[in-house]
Amino acid sequence: MSDSNLSDNSRDIIIDVDLHRRTSELADENLSLLDEHGVTAMDVLGSVGSGKTTLIGQIVRRLRDRLSIAVIAGDITTRIDADRIEREGVPVIQIQTGGACHLDGELVRRGLERLDLDAVDLLIVENVGNLICPAAFPVGSHRRVVLLSVTEGPYMAVKHPIMVRQADVAGINKIDLADAMEVDVAKLAEDVRSVHPEIEVVATNARAGEGIDEVIAALGLSGANSGSDGPTENEGRDA
Amino acid sequence: MHDVAAAQQIAATVLQTANEQEAELVRRIEIALGAMTMIDAEQLEFWLKQGLRGTVADDATIVIEQMPLRARCRSCKYEGEIEVPDDPIYHLMPFVPTCPECGADQLEVLGGAECVVRSIRVSDAEIADEA
Ligand SMILES: Nc1nc2c(ncn2[C@@H]2O[C@H](COP(=O)(O)OP(=O)(O)O)[C@@H](O)[C@H]2O)c(=O)[nH]1
Ligand SMILES: [Mg+2]
Ligand SMILES: [Zn+2]
Repeated sequence: MSDSNLSDNSRDIIIDVDLHRRTSELADENLSLLDEHGVTAMDVLGSVGSGKTTLIGQIVRRLRDRLSIAVIAGDITTRIDADRIEREGVPVIQIQTGGACHLDGELVRRGLERLDLDAVDLLIVENVGNLICPAAFPVGSHRRVVLLSVTEGPYMAVKHPIMVRQADVAGINKIDLADAMEVDVAKLAEDVRSVHPEIEVVATNARAGEGIDEVIAALGLSGANSGSDGPTENEGRDA
Repeated sequence: MHDVAAAQQIAATVLQTANEQEAELVRRIEIALGAMTMIDAEQLEFWLKQGLRGTVADDATIVIEQMPLRARCRSCKYEGEIEVPDDPIYHLMPFVPTCPECGADQLEVLGGAECVVRSIRVSDAEIADEA
């Protein structure tokens, strides 16, 4: 090694890396890994309590006979959510976000390492309940569902333009409570489309299982067989 | 509250750069932190220090410049800084900035959403081996 001294021969290195860019790189790496193993991935975004875990449980129940499914749960609210989905008979990888309010590519990557990806057809990621971070922190998925609940009030969609724009499918959940909340579901659907015209909007009652088939269709997963048929082009009915 | 994840990524970026540049020590780390990230600068510094323990950047001075939210209003054309409330509730629900002039919430964000590792100062000098 060179002769040692503490003389001030320091230099500055300009980095200028925005963490947002770094996180999208990580997400892209996750996507390539998933593609290599033939895994289709979707993630579900939405506020705490909007019904993400309930929706995932319903989707799993309908697809588990045709597809081998794994779930990555990043919800801050502990094991309980993971157990609810595990009861549907699919592996759930719980990711500790360590106080963080979002999942990011790095954490999801660690989750992927714990799965036998060759044995998985469909990966469902429940993102933690936060509406700022997930929009800026992609995890690496092919399809994204944003779940809005009518209990969050009539201006939900217009208030989250970024999140809505990044999603392929918007679920308007808890429609059974729409009247009580004095929320017009059709108007909410219209708002969502005004922010993102290409998005598929589906009205759901995740608890009772209404609208789930439509969500599955909008995700292009209707009639998907592990192997033979592949996802259909069928793009579901609208709300 | 996503300060931990942000700190981990900053640490990884710093250490990767130091390694690529074959630096012996990292003396200073400069970060720009936008108000819209909702990350608390002190928390970020704390977690970053944890993440750099025992590495070449263990003793680095951490400098965090806090960047205000700057936006342009699409309805009244107001352009300027907008205060972001320091309230943890915005980790569970969205903070929607509104125009201080007309109250509209259709704003174009010009700055303040970033979390950038700007630069690091490294030195190539070896510390005299005390063995
Ligand atoms: N009334 C009603 N309740 C629902 C619906 N979907 C979910 N819930 C309830 O809302 C609560 C939160 O749901 P959960 O799936 O845990 O939300 P998450 O935090 O987004 O995962 C639970 O008590 C669910 O039973 C729905 O469509 N209608
Ligand atoms: Mg949940
Ligand atoms: Zn204005």
